Amino acid sequence: MKHLPKHLRPRWRYLAVGIESWADAEVGRRAFQRALWYSAGNLLGDAGSADADLTLLSFAHADGTGEAVVRVRHGHVDDARAAVACVSEVDGEPVGIRVRGISGTVRACEERYMGRATASSTQRDVAFEGAERPGFARGDACDLRVESARVGATTFDTE
Amino acid sequence: MYEAVHAYPDGEATVARHAATAARRGYDGIVVRTRDALDPAVGGEESAATGGDGSTAAARDESPVRDPAALSEEYGIDVVDAVEIDADDPTSASGAVGNYRSDRSVVCVIGGDDALNRFAVEQARVDVLVRPMASGGDFNHVLAKAARDNGVRVEFDFGPALRATGGKRVRALADLRKLREIVAHYDAPYVVSANARSHLELRAPRELVAAGEAIGFDAEAVREGLRAWGDLVERNRERRSEGFIEPGVRRGRYEEDG
Repeated sequence: MKHLPKHLRPRWRYLAVGIESWADAEVGRRAFQRALWYSAGNLLGDAGSADADLTLLSFAHADGTGEAVVRVRHGHVDDARAAVACVSEVDGEPVGIRVRGISGTVRACEERYMGRATASSTQRDVAFEGAERPGFARGDACDLRVESARVGATTFDTE
Repeated sequence: MYEAVHAYPDGEATVARHAATAARRGYDGIVVRTRDALDPAVGGEESAATGGDGSTAAARDESPVRDPAALSEEYGIDVVDAVEIDADDPTSASGAVGNYRSDRSVVCVIGGDDALNRFAVEQARVDVLVRPMASGGDFNHVLAKAARDNGVRVEFDFGPALRATGGKRVRALADLRKLREIVAHYDAPYVVSANARSHLELRAPRELVAAGEAIGFDAEAVREGLRAWGDLVERNRERRSEGFIEPGVRRGRYEEDG
């Protein structure tokens, strides 16, 4: 279709979203998009969700960290931020999520907030509370298995 | 702004992981609700100095991962030893409050029961009544007045609003609204928290403010509720410091030109 004259085109804001999960969790792009829309639908209702848009433009996740660019309609950024904050699980995997920043263009968003080098994760046994536990270490963070439960620790705990 | 968290063994992340995450999220401090996660800070001046040298831990032959001062120094964020009292009835809660008041910076009582809610707001020794509406508890004007008169803060628990779904969340939001209206009308003191049980459940202050606005809170009220933890910690540290006699009276040197 012929594109709209400039004054009728929607104006967007782009949210840089940082994602954190357990190191052995898989978080997929489609699942994350679904979680975002469900969260917006539940919090803001269908009307509010349609207003905010919340389309995922780019997504990357590996080794327990990830990032995404989320498109939001200008003027609904606060609603979108609330909806993003209410994403607590993706496909049953708990995720920690935060909005790193907001830009007016995708390019600015990527240049300013994305692509931060994160240390890669290594699997090894670490000492925690007087016993060796299997775990994933990534930078300062360390995700362990204690019996059947998962515990988030840091190198401060395991030295 | 401060956030109050549940740490391992009660939650899924250690105090250090919570501290590291909260520091990145822009908090000034965390209040650790779990009694078993931290050793009590040594009372007085030492606990007030956030940049302790860690020697207190060494002196008591404890590992630094349980020492609030050492954790504060490591992550550049205030780590506060607190306790949450989970009692079945007011009598046992009263005993527990007496036990922990002298060695913890913040004493919270878990509500969720009419008798316990009533007990907590009528005790000036209690700092915070947490989760008053959980599991069938209720709140009313009598409790709000008592909370205001005794300076007991009432917690707005954002946990279910952020993490529950369906009917559970609807009920939690309805309870939050009821609590908000009563607390605002009587001007009772309050705190706001996401009740994070792991580092993944921590949300940045701006996110909590946005979520609060979406469920009907005033943005400034949410910020005020997050700052209130910090005010509480500061007040209690001053009270536990050596020079403190009673509000307005301190032991110290005479002012030079008084």
